[in-house]
Formats: sequence, structure tokens, C-alpha cells
Amino acid sequence: MIRLSLLQFRVQVITAVTALAAFAVLLAATGPHLARLYGASGLTGCQPASCGDLANQFFQQLNAAGTYQVVYLLGIMLVALAPAVIGLFWGAPLVARELETGTSALAWSQSVTRTRWLAVKLTVGGLAAMAVTEGLSLLQAWWAAPISRAVGLGGSGTSLAMNQFSPLVFVTHGITPLGYAAFAFTLGVTAGALIQRTVPAMAVTLVLFAAVQIAMPLWIRPNLFPAEHTTVAIGRDITFSNNTQGNFTLATGTLAGQPGAWILSSGAVDAAGHPVSTAPAACTQAVVSGTGPSGLACLASHGIRIAVTYQPASRYWAFQWTETGICLAAALALAGYCFRRVSRRLS
Amino acid sequence: MSAVIQASELGKQYRRAWALRDCTLTIPEGHVVGLVGPNGAGKTTLLRLAAGMLAPTRGTITVLGERPAAGPAQLAQVGFVAQDTPVYAQLTVADHLRLGSWLNPGWDGELARQRIGQLGLDPKQRAGSLSGGQRAQLALTLALGKRPELLILDEPVASLDPLARREFLQGLMEAVAEHGVNIVLSSHLVADLERVCDYLVVLVGSQVRLAGEVGALLASHHRLSGPRRDPGSLPASQQVITESHTDKQSNLLVRTDEPVLDPSWTVRPVSLEDLVLGYLSRARNDAPARRPRLGVVS
Repeated sequence: MIRLSLLQFRVQVITAVTALAAFAVLLAATGPHLARLYGASGLTGCQPASCGDLANQFFQQLNAAGTYQVVYLLGIMLVALAPAVIGLFWGAPLVARELETGTSALAWSQSVTRTRWLAVKLTVGGLAAMAVTEGLSLLQAWWAAPISRAVGLGGSGTSLAMNQFSPLVFVTHGITPLGYAAFAFTLGVTAGALIQRTVPAMAVTLVLFAAVQIAMPLWIRPNLFPAEHTTVAIGRDITFSNNTQGNFTLATGTLAGQPGAWILSSGAVDAAGHPVSTAPAACTQAVVSGTGPSGLACLASHGIRIAVTYQPASRYWAFQWTETGICLAAALALAGYCFRRVSRRLS
Repeated sequence: MSAVIQASELGKQYRRAWALRDCTLTIPEGHVVGLVGPNGAGKTTLLRLAAGMLAPTRGTITVLGERPAAGPAQLAQVGFVAQDTPVYAQLTVADHLRLGSWLNPGWDGELARQRIGQLGLDPKQRAGSLSGGQRAQLALTLALGKRPELLILDEPVASLDPLARREFLQGLMEAVAEHGVNIVLSSHLVADLERVCDYLVVLVGSQVRLAGEVGALLASHHRLSGPRRDPGSLPASQQVITESHTDKQSNLLVRTDEPVLDPSWTVRPVSLEDLVLGYLSRARNDAPARRPRLGVVS
């Protein structure tokens, strides 16, 4: 049964290997130069005080070169989309096409039980899906290692400097690609077994998987662990907006001393810790007149601080394991449902 | 126990509609059985239940003494060629033989290769580009290659042209002659069944209307024609299957195990087609078609 499964899976395997190879060639062509730029940037062994500036210089260099940004985003998109593509083109047709073309009757009348038939197909397809996605992810991570290190050293202010928790980066690095690949694949198989037609099953898979990919970073991931709260003085990397009535908002994208932390929300609070949006009377003039340093300085001198709700960077792997665990558990549950459906109900 | 298929009050429901309901039948061993009936009689559902493709909603079915698809050993004993003879369009003829050998412990590679050779199929050709007849032959080869005790074929020749149809049935008969396999074959064309079957089951509205060996059935049915008379006046041993009357004449299809002696009748033998049509039209006439279970001989 394993051999039949591989035989039927030939085309997909060839496609996946071709895609992996093309991606590897693209990265191999640009990776070494990126590493050389990093080596020349002085970031290796930098003094903590100067690391941030050096990292920013490094990013400016990359932005100027142009291609790195493109390759970086392309790579991330490819890894992020791989599970969806696999769910659509490997998962959905796996059972649906057999039912649609009637070949299920051929397969199920061999001397192999239906449970074994499905088990082998799910295992071969699922493992291949996980291997391909993780392979893409590792290639991308290898290529982007200098960028990640520069981000870790405090580089910011460019589309390259994405936080490790930012939605696209989180699902494309670490072990989450394994979880999402397995989940998307079994989602596709289940949709196919339920709908019994390939194209509608693909559409449903796409919609459901996209919904999960949106819901996860917005509502689920931030709540996997209770968030930490802190207040910090107004410092670097502040988003400051104001209006002519002297109202203002403050937000920060980074937390001093906690590079890589995930900022869930941030806002201005007064010395007592209560949220504020109206400038103290003494600062109204400075705040209304502009967003420049004088306004911020005045607010800071009147005890305005920034309250930050965040997930510490140290929890990164806890998040990775938890989310991957959720995906794998969902994949197993879907697979279990497929077994029930295929062994008992299907025509 | 000499039944290859035994069904008892078997039913299969799809959403609301019953595709098969209260079907009780026994198919004895050692025959090429033709299953015939109008569209919607439940032939396909019955055969799919027997092949283990479907699970029954109600009742029980055993095939070769076991629940269909109960396990690899049971599956190995039953070959199934589904309606429209599906094969994997992307795989070659040789791939199909390989998958047969991988998935069936009792695979007879010699038989399969020989059949493919006799049929003149190119092993390297993709199954998707085969003609309907060749595809059916490939599906049959796969089913025969596993050396089943029972081979179930669901309308295997329905979509074939007359020549391909004859070749297919010929191949089937050769397999029966060589390996003594039990066969259950459905069709709505009596002519096809006449050529190959020695046992007939007429299924109408999930009910067995007639079952028996073809020879015995033909010997016990007669077409009578003569001056008009009330069928009620016939001897009790003669059961009227169909009747039609003109002003002067009566034409009857009767079933009797005794000779018809009444000299006023002209007695003619029936063809299998007459017989089947007779039972089909009779089933249509006694409309709430679901009660009497008639005419079972074995």
C-alpha cells in the first residue's frame, strides 16, 4: 500500500522537489553575499550600546541593495503559503478525487482494508507535507539568519526588521511550519471526504485555512499565555500622534532591554498609572504645536509614561510548541474523523 | 453452507431515500448469476453492499460466509468491478498490474500478464487513454488477477459497443471455465445475461421477483394461447404470470412444473427475455410492489 501511495504521489513529489530546488538555488545565489554584508557591518561582537545603530545601518545597506528585501519577503510568503497550497492540491484531492472518479471502488476492492488504505495515504502525504514545508522554512531561516541576528540586536524601522512574533514570521519559522502543514493537509483531506468533490473541497479548504491563519494571530495566539504588563519611560521608537485640542496618543513597538518581545498593546498613562489622552495643561502648547521632541519631552517631564502589555521574548519557544501542538492535535482529530467517515459511511 | 451471497431484510438509506429496502435473497454457489431489474430496483446498491463498498443501514448481508470487507482475508476472496469500470487515468496498464500485485497476497501475475498480452494492451499506455472496452478489460484483469472466489460485476458492459461487449463477456466466460470462479453480474440487457448466465435473479423494487437456474426457469414457464377464457379456470398447478386478452383470444405466461395437457391451448416455450419482461410487467401491475415474495425456486 505504501508503494501504491508513493506511485500515486509521484507528481506531487516531483513538483515539491522542483520548488524546493528552485528556492534553494535562489537563496544560494544571494545568501553568501548577505552573510558577507553582515560580516562587514561590525555587528559581530558589537558593544551593547552601539549594536542598535549598527543594526540599523546594516538594514539601510540592505534596503539600498533592493534585492534582499524582495528575496526576504518572497521567501517568507512562500513558506507561509506552502501549507495552504499543500492543503489545496495534496489534501483536498486525496480522497475526493478517488470518490469523484470512482477509483475508490478499485482501491477498496483490493485485499487491503479501507482503514489501512487511508492510514497509509494520510501518513505518506502528511509526512511529505511536513517535510516540504519545514524544508522551505529551514532554507529561508538559513538565508535570513543575518537579518534575524540584526533584529535580535535591536535593528528596527524597516520591513526587513520583523519581530519574531509578527504573524508572518512566527508561522514560517521554528516548528510551526510542521504543525500548519499537517493541519492544512488533513483539513484538505477531511473537506474532500465530506464534500466528495475535488474543486469545492479545495475552495472550502482555502476558506477555512485562511480563516484559521487570520484568527490565530488576532485572537488565539496572544491569549495562549497570560500577558505581562509594565510601564516604561518615554524613550526610543515611539509613535506619537496629536490633535489641535491637545489630545494625544503614544505607542511603542519595542521594549527597552527586551529585544524580540511581542508588544500586544501600549498607551500613555499618567504617574498614577491611569490611561491619559489629554495633555497636562503645561504641555498643551508643546503637544499641539507638533509631534517633535519638545512635545514628548514635556509629557515625559510631567510624569507621562507608556504602559505596555507584552509577551516576553523568552516565551518564544513556549508559543512555538503550544501552537504546533494545537495544530497537530487538530490534524489528528481531523484524521480521526476521516477514518470514521471513510470506514463507515462513504459510498 | 453453499450460498455465496446471503442477504436478510437488507436496507440502505441515502439521506431520506431508500435505495434498497427489505431485500432478502440467497445466491447459491457454483453459478454465473445474472441480476436483472429495472433502473432503481437497487441492483447497484445490492452489489456495492455485497462488495463491501457500502455498509447496510438495516439488515444483514454475508458474502462467502463473512461480513463484506470484514478484513483483508475476506477482501481477497471477492473481486469487484464497479459500474463504469473505473481505473486510475494517470497510471499505466503496467502500473495497474503492479498495484494489483502489491495489494493482493494471492496475486496471479502470470494470469494478469497473459490477459493483457492477449488483449493486445500496451503495458506502457496510460489507463486514461484506453478505450471503454479496453478499460473494462483492464478492470476485469485486475479483479481476476487477485484470484477471487467470487467476482461481482456491476453493469460491466453497459457502456460498451456490441463488439467490445461480446469480447468482454467472452473473457469472463473463459475465466469461469479456467478458474471456476463464482460470478454475480448485473445488467439491464437480458441478451447479455442470456449469453453467460446459468442462474437468474430478477429484482424489482428491492424485492426478488424470480430466482432460479435458467434451465429450470425456462422449462417451467410456458406461453399459452388459445380461445378466450378466464385465467381463474386454470388448474391450480398453473400460476399465471401475465395475461393479455383480445375479444376472442387469450395469451398467458404461466408457470407450472407439470405438463400443460389442455388441448385448447397452443403451448410454446419462452425465451429468457420473455420471462424477464413478464415478471417485470407483472411487478409493475401489482403496484404497491413491496409485499409478495413470489416465484423463488432453486
